[in-house]
Amino acid sequence: MQPTNISLHMSNVETVPGRTIVSSLGLVTGSTVRAKHLGKDIFAGLKNLVGGELKAYTELLNESRNEAIQRMMMQAHSMGANGIVNIRFATSNVAAGASELFCYGTAVVVE
Amino acid sequence: MATSLSIVLAIFFWLVLPVLIPLISWLLGRWYQGRLMQALESNEKQQGGLLQSEKHLSTSSSMMSMTAESSTLLHVSICVGPSWGQIFFMWVKSLFGGRLESYDVVLDYGRREVLMRLNQQAKAMGCSSIVNIRIETSTVSFAKNNNSSKTSSVEFLAFATGLRQ
Repeated sequence: MQPTNISLHMSNVETVPGRTIVSSLGLVTGSTVRAKHLGKDIFAGLKNLVGGELKAYTELLNESRNEAIQRMMMQAHSMGANGIVNIRFATSNVAAGASELFCYGTAVVVE
Repeated sequence: MATSLSIVLAIFFWLVLPVLIPLISWLLGRWYQGRLMQALESNEKQQGGLLQSEKHLSTSSSMMSMTAESSTLLHVSICVGPSWGQIFFMWVKSLFGGRLESYDVVLDYGRREVLMRLNQQAKAMGCSSIVNIRIETSTVSFAKNNNSSKTSSVEFLAFATGLRQ
């Protein structure tokens, strides 16, 4: 997925603070399913020797979540929206060795 | 002679190793996680009270958002895992039930760390307050074939709206 330079007003409250919502365009979603990286998984497993933060997983999930957000933003952009409100995130284990990162929100047009 | 040696080896592999490795891991983990906790505490102090102040940090989308000039979405996630030693002692403890103290510490650390980073991100983006904070917890084990005890981790995700006044 190419990085895009779409800039939208995003918030997880019902409004875009400081702006007025003109119209609502409906639900937008974005999701990615990420499998583990074998090498990273082995190192993360070794890191479990002492516990604490597993940086490899943190990075992996962050990367994937950003991708999901990008997809949601692109969907909103193609609908002609310039903002997304009430954004929610969800994470689920869809299969052994993979997890799905999902985000959704309401596309709106703001002033 | 050979048989006694093999018996000693067998005892070593079947009895000593399964106890010794978790024990070493538990001790190392205690030391390492203690250091992480200290770093977190000093970071929290450095940020100065913002975490405690209800004016700047809230779970509701309160009146604060009415007066804001602009806003931005903040999201931070972190994966933390217990050490093998903690997993082992957890298993022992679960035979009797009760409070799993070693796991408490890991989860507490993760949740505080994620809030601290959310705060840092807000500051970096020039936000003066954070509203509508949500914290989600999910298990992330990429391990296959039921060997999830090898890599077990919990993901904490915090997201919120940062406001610029």
